[in-house]
Amino acid sequence: MFIVKIAEFNIKVDNKYSYVEKLCKDYIVNTDSYDIFVNVTDEEIQNEKSLDSESSFSDAYCESVCIYRKICLELVKYDAFLFHSAVIEVDGAGYAFSAKSGTGKSTHIGLWKKYFGEKVKIINGDKPILKFIDNDIYVYGTPWAGKENWQRNVKAPLKTICFIERGTENSIRKMTSEEAVIKVANQVLMPKEKGEALKMLDMLDKLLKKVSLWNLKCNISKEAAELSYTTLTGDDISEN
Amino acid sequence: MKIKEGFVVREVAGKIVAVATGEASIGFNGMITLNPTGKFLWEKLENDISKEELINAVMEEYNVEYDLAKKDIEAFVLKLKSEGILCE
Repeated sequence: MFIVKIAEFNIKVDNKYSYVEKLCKDYIVNTDSYDIFVNVTDEEIQNEKSLDSESSFSDAYCESVCIYRKICLELVKYDAFLFHSAVIEVDGAGYAFSAKSGTGKSTHIGLWKKYFGEKVKIINGDKPILKFIDNDIYVYGTPWAGKENWQRNVKAPLKTICFIERGTENSIRKMTSEEAVIKVANQVLMPKEKGEALKMLDMLDKLLKKVSLWNLKCNISKEAAELSYTTLTGDDISEN
Repeated sequence: MKIKEGFVVREVAGKIVAVATGEASIGFNGMITLNPTGKFLWEKLENDISKEELINAVMEEYNVEYDLAKKDIEAFVLKLKSEGILCE
């Protein structure tokens, strides 16, 4: 058992395997008080395992997936939710790149890191939490950060969501919030309980009206990174 | 015909969306968007309604002829059925 602090909530985890505790090491706090409690049953672990066709994931790994899913569903009650995306921070503002798995979100933020150096800091490479504080939206690092484990235990105001598509040429355009609804909804965990589902839809509505929304078509190149970086941050990049 | 219990409909950033909760979420996993006509039909279908009653409602609301209303309704109902949204 251990307590982690994620998105400024203390979450007590009753784990069967040590894997999840090791995964959470940057977030563990030394306290007795907690806001949320989660555990998973053996049945839930086996259900998770059966979803993977190759059954190559261990019980310990499956437990960690189930635990995070439960945490994320519980957080909906507290004005926070999981947003599957790769998020970076530049000058104190958060930029979230969203796309189906495998499209190249991590690759793209890797390019920002490579070409724009110290200005760019990773917040989370895969599964950050978004949270409303009053009417502002913040993005938080979490222990669940994808295979590269790019995460920092930090928070930043979320400025932009940029959807990525692969393309041969690089182009970027603004999106309307209407266009973005389905794309964003596909990257959250929708609760199955009616009140919580309505809460989630409410948060999606507020999110889409708050942040700026962009669509990027790009290849893997310095030009792609320069296009998205200058457009989204508004920074001028001088030629070296 | 009737939409399964458990769907919630809400406007999100200018689009009308429906998601399945509770029992309905076992048969349908995802989100549907509805244009204004779709929303009109959906709301009628939340209470048990026959195809003929639905056609009459559309003819009255949109001032269209029977055949056009019937065609559009049949297409819409077929889509809902194929997604597991209507009660069998």
